Amino acid sequence: MEAILQAFGAALQLKVILMMILGAVVGIVFGAIPGLTYSMGIILVLPLTFNLDPLAAITLLLGVYVGGMTGGSVSAIILGIPGTPSAAATCLDGHRLAKEGKAGKALGTAVFSATIGGLISVLILVVVAPIIAKFALKFGPAEIFALVFFGFSAIAGISSGKVIKGLISGMIGLLVMTMGMDPVMGVKRYTFGSINLLGGVDVLSFMIGMFAIPQIVEAFATDESAIKRKLDTNVSMSFPTFKEIKGLASTILKSALIGVGIGAIPGTGGPIAAFLGYDQAKRKACSDEPTLDCVAGPEAAHNGVTGGALIPMLTLGIPGDPATAILLGALLIHGLKPGPLLFQENSGFVYGIYATLFIINILVFSIQSFGIRFFVKVLDFKKSYLYTTIMVLCVIGSYSSHNNMFDVFTMFAAGLIGFFMQKFGFPVAPTILALVLGPTMEDSFRRALILSQGNFATFVASPISIVFYAFTAFVLVSQVRRKKKTKKA
Amino acid sequence: MKSNTKRIIALLLVIAAVAAPLAAQAKKYPTKAIEVTCLFGPGSAADLIARKFSDLAQGYLGQPLPVVNRTGGGQAIGYNYVKNQRPDGYNVIWTSNGIFTAYYQGNIDFKHEAFTHIAQVSYEPVSIAVKYDAPWKTVKEFMDYIKANPGKVRIGNSGAGTFTHLTAAALENEAGSRVVHVPFGKGLAFASLLGGQIEATIQLPSEVEGQYKAKQVRILAVTGADRVESMPDVPTLKESGYPLELILWRGLAVPKGTPADVVQTLVEATRKVVESQEFKAFAKTVAIIPSFKTGSEFQAFLDQDDKTNAVLMKQTGTSNR
Repeated sequence: MEAILQAFGAALQLKVILMMILGAVVGIVFGAIPGLTYSMGIILVLPLTFNLDPLAAITLLLGVYVGGMTGGSVSAIILGIPGTPSAAATCLDGHRLAKEGKAGKALGTAVFSATIGGLISVLILVVVAPIIAKFALKFGPAEIFALVFFGFSAIAGISSGKVIKGLISGMIGLLVMTMGMDPVMGVKRYTFGSINLLGGVDVLSFMIGMFAIPQIVEAFATDESAIKRKLDTNVSMSFPTFKEIKGLASTILKSALIGVGIGAIPGTGGPIAAFLGYDQAKRKACSDEPTLDCVAGPEAAHNGVTGGALIPMLTLGIPGDPATAILLGALLIHGLKPGPLLFQENSGFVYGIYATLFIINILVFSIQSFGIRFFVKVLDFKKSYLYTTIMVLCVIGSYSSHNNMFDVFTMFAAGLIGFFMQKFGFPVAPTILALVLGPTMEDSFRRALILSQGNFATFVASPISIVFYAFTAFVLVSQVRRKKKTKKA
Repeated sequence: MKSNTKRIIALLLVIAAVAAPLAAQAKKYPTKAIEVTCLFGPGSAADLIARKFSDLAQGYLGQPLPVVNRTGGGQAIGYNYVKNQRPDGYNVIWTSNGIFTAYYQGNIDFKHEAFTHIAQVSYEPVSIAVKYDAPWKTVKEFMDYIKANPGKVRIGNSGAGTFTHLTAAALENEAGSRVVHVPFGKGLAFASLLGGQIEATIQLPSEVEGQYKAKQVRILAVTGADRVESMPDVPTLKESGYPLELILWRGLAVPKGTPADVVQTLVEATRKVVESQEFKAFAKTVAIIPSFKTGSEFQAFLDQDDKTNAVLMKQTGTSNR
């Protein structure tokens, strides 16, 4: 108890609080702008941390991390363009709700669920981190493959009823993902002798292109004065009512737990969690209509990742996702070696991290509830200005992910593909899902086979894998049944 | 009189205004920011060291040295980018042994000769890590086990053809037997070691120091000429009776054809950084060894390293040359 009070004391120093606010604001802005991600935000503020004491430094970085995870939902819901890959799932139902004039409610639900998801993950981190870390280590390549395989079953849920077209979209994603050097032996695939293609297709640029370009084309192709504004310009954020919260509670809790679990498994991350969170919410809703559940699910899940990803980092010194890998490097600069020793030698610092994480989640919540009213003002701009600006941001965003002009071309090419896919009724979400999950799936599949020396039995050798295959079968069967029912009705 | 003074002042001001840019032009290199291309992502060991280096070098060069991460394509994108820049000293590459990996894998079609190397900045050995409760207490025991179980022992590395992979290959040669090389992404090999999916992994000392001190892993040996400061009781391979010395070096290079005086300016700045107290202190926290090497000495070292890499990559089947 005393330790906790001390930790909060440390976390409530003026300097630390200022860093939290700075971090949260940077994170939310980077998360909200399509193409700029929290990873970039973390890199941007990294040099600032060199002159800070360790707790203030890690607080700043954690603020960007949590803020960035949450910020992505704003542009996903209002504009239909996910700010980060993690927000792609939020975009699906969130933007449809916005089009129905429920943007305020969707945003409120997103911010609320994200915060609850984040807080649940902190709680789990504080209470049972070592146990979860131990369990997460049981996830070898074969188990991760099974998990990602299960993730692919979400295609059925995100195809908005068009399963065959959804599968084709997924295949397009897998095909695009195979371009470049293969992750295991470095064999070149579909590179056509181009050095740029050797690096493969940048997922972030591809995703921005697929979501944003069709939106932009549509915006310019429709006569603004002739049609009634579909987007609700007087968005004011409204939080879910108590009754709605009761309905959402199970979704939020489940998704947050999914997020923590995925976060804790090294080599996975936010986007996977968000899609799984979306999928389970969709199954609960049992209809193709957009629901608040389907906004709450992915938001709670990917914010659950924040605390989850810190579990292996703090207890074992292994980063749980790409962002925590950067955090790990930052701690190293400050002479702190995350891992079991940190708990023994510097437990005060670890408790300090817990306390700041807790406060950051609440802070991000307040900043967003306050700030969204200004952000939604962008919808008051003339569409021609708004979408031109978005176009510029997309170019900047795709360039800055690797400082390579090629990624900008990728963005435009993806936009073209996305445009035609939407024209012909192919959902784009499965393509993004495949792009995000594909590399992990291939990686773990091949690594599992190397470890087992070519023996395929390895994939069903552990109970963990079998559970995930069973989940997959269950999801598919229930989808087929539902489909039959709706056909009869 | 008064107006004359005014005129003279005005004239002087005009002269100053015209002359200032001219003076600036005549000023010596560098007159603007020098871009440092890092081939690995933010937060990676390469990135952290490059950022610290550029931070300190700014003090000696008087210009900022922004680090730009150009990752992907097995380092091909970054190496190609810098090679094709104007050789004026404003584009520097943060390079390492990785250039040989990229060349022999066939990702780039030039080697270290395509660059003028400024200097080596640091080097680091790697460590051979096993779980703390593993049955092998020494390298000798581990090597004997490899020999007795050909093709059974699984050793993790950070990617096909990388330095850690080649280190494991060199160990194979010493053991006189084969192992299974398992390529992993960043940080993942370690998770698999603790999870018991692999028997050993080759890691940078900075990556395992914490777990070593917490008795989660045992470090059988380090691969450098000397022991690592933070792990004083871990022997080197040589001490354990295996005549191997494998290090991962890091340094700076510029495109071929960069003027000699520009190169010299960079060499001097690099020397000052590497010898500075601040860099030494930083090196300790990230477990690298500052080591300045330039000119023909560095060149000879590179040529030798090239040969070592060529042999090992052929052996591991990762060479496409």
